[in-house]
Amino acid sequence: MTDAVDTFDLTRRFGDFIAVDKVNLQVRQGEIYGLLGPNGAGKSTTIRMLSTILKPTSGTARVAGFDLDGEANEVKKRIGLVSEKLILYTRLTATQNLTFFGRLYKVEPSALKKRIEELLAIVKLTEFKDKPIGSYSSGMRQRVNIIRALLHDPEIIFLDEPTIALDPQSTRFIWDLVKDLRSRGRTIILTTHLMEEADELSNRVCIIDRGKVMAADTPRALKDRFHTESMLDVFLNVTGREMRDSTSEHLSMRGVMAEA
Amino acid sequence: MIDLELLLDIAKKDLLDLWMAKTLVFMLVLMPLLLIGMFGYMYPPSPSPNPNTNNLGSVYPNLPVCLVMMDNGQVAKDFANQFIQVSTEQKLFTVSEAASFQEARNMLVEGKLKGIVVFPQGFSAAIASKTPATVEVTVDQSNPTIASIVQSEIAGVFNILNSEMSAQNISAIDGGQWDPAFLTQPVSIINEPLITGAASSFQFLAPGFVALTVVTGSLIGVATSISKEKEAGTMDGLLVAPVSNISIVAGKVIAQTVRGMIQGFITLGLAILVFGVRIYGSPIVMVVVMFLGTASFVGIGIVLSAIAPDQETANVMASLLQFPMMFLCGIMFPIEQLPGWMQVIGRALPLYYAADALRKVVILNAGMNLIMPDILILIGYAAATMVLALPLFDKAMRK
Repeated sequence: MTDAVDTFDLTRRFGDFIAVDKVNLQVRQGEIYGLLGPNGAGKSTTIRMLSTILKPTSGTARVAGFDLDGEANEVKKRIGLVSEKLILYTRLTATQNLTFFGRLYKVEPSALKKRIEELLAIVKLTEFKDKPIGSYSSGMRQRVNIIRALLHDPEIIFLDEPTIALDPQSTRFIWDLVKDLRSRGRTIILTTHLMEEADELSNRVCIIDRGKVMAADTPRALKDRFHTESMLDVFLNVTGREMRDSTSEHLSMRGVMAEA
Repeated sequence: MIDLELLLDIAKKDLLDLWMAKTLVFMLVLMPLLLIGMFGYMYPPSPSPNPNTNNLGSVYPNLPVCLVMMDNGQVAKDFANQFIQVSTEQKLFTVSEAASFQEARNMLVEGKLKGIVVFPQGFSAAIASKTPATVEVTVDQSNPTIASIVQSEIAGVFNILNSEMSAQNISAIDGGQWDPAFLTQPVSIINEPLITGAASSFQFLAPGFVALTVVTGSLIGVATSISKEKEAGTMDGLLVAPVSNISIVAGKVIAQTVRGMIQGFITLGLAILVFGVRIYGSPIVMVVVMFLGTASFVGIGIVLSAIAPDQETANVMASLLQFPMMFLCGIMFPIEQLPGWMQVIGRALPLYYAADALRKVVILNAGMNLIMPDILILIGYAAATMVLALPLFDKAMRK
């Protein structure tokens, strides 16, 4: 079975700054792969490259069996992205948003309508489907944002900090949703700062720092390696305790706003 | 490459997103209304009737003017009566009478009068003794525009009175041998207009404003809509989908062109209905020019959205471009008024050609063949800026 994602010395520079430095990852089909790292470590840049938004400076990757270079369109058809920022038009209703994004993937109209209804029912938002997204709570918005990435039933789903700033109820709901996706054979690549989230969801995790892979294994194996029961301890052991202060201005000067 | 279906989906979504912002839509409708309303009244129409409403559109009609009769002779009284009759018939002045120049002067200073005509002592005697007589005219110099109109209109009335008197005098002298008109004005001018009726200043301004509204509406629209999506993060949703860049850009361009055209039609409608602007040319050619005017600026809009770090900056940059263009591209006044180097800048901007072509179509009924140079320049501009803009768009969005 081919890997869902296979990267080969994937590198991205912004001027002199190396955001991602020869990263080699193998994500297996049907697993949840946790991508962990401090702020500015290169997680979002990696995801942006794997989801075809950002071009690598050097190196390449195969995503869903297709090459990022030259077969980007095939990759696009098979992936779904939930990025840090909400990919929804706040003036439009949930139905209008989902219909628009579904059409971008050429989902046939009657099938799309059915799919939207199913997905809205799964995230328990059917009764709010005709209200503008701007009137939703942050938990509701994120639920719509996630199903927006599932409209074309992608093989691989990138989730970039999907539960950031959500209440425990919404977080738990999204965790269950992610597990359900895995049970239906989907591959999920998840970035998070929540070690509990990484531990609960991920089959394997990869800790990256300063653009480099520092450790990659199952959460259990990593905890055993550092003789602890806490993923937070593992994380701090691998990445150190020093704070990673950097302003958005600093980052934008280096051209890595996406990392801010 | 371009996927027509996706392009229309993106355009539809952008227009729906705009339509949901009711306050913004209200402002976008209000903008051309204000623009045309303000300038419509600032530049009054010509003294010909509005062809749509048949109302008299005289420049400052019925201005208050006062006669001061220092001469009580019958000739002066006859002249004064004829002055009143002609002025009233042509709706030029509302004529009153004052007992003294001082009284009239005070009324003028108070703003109750715009001009004073004094028949001085000896007026009747001069005419009776067959020597030229004079009248003294005083106008309100605090308002030079109205002063000059009052002066020329008073002169116009006296021209009519003089011609009548000359004709009587000549018939009396030569017993009908000479045509009096030949003696007073051997050569006269007949104006052969290209269009019926007089072209008011507003007839000049309206097509320019329509071009300005269409062009800047879409320029600001494209710059704002792209940078807004970039800033909000929704652009990622488009970039990650199997949609080509050119379809994304084209979809946005179509949406903003529709927006600009709607604003242009509002401007045009108001100019026609309220300010009597008449369209002599083909509406289809007009729409073609409006569309090409928009297309010529779309590339610039994309470049701005690529350069600007956020939506607010993109908006300011687009507005900054709009303001000098109003003056440089012959929208407010003919470009010939500007110094040579400014004319060069004006002629380097596509708005000049869009306004020029639209004006020729609207006022002079020009067909496509006669405005072809303008059309070709607009197409050239659109193609050149798009070639520059597309790679820049790709680079900026994937940063």
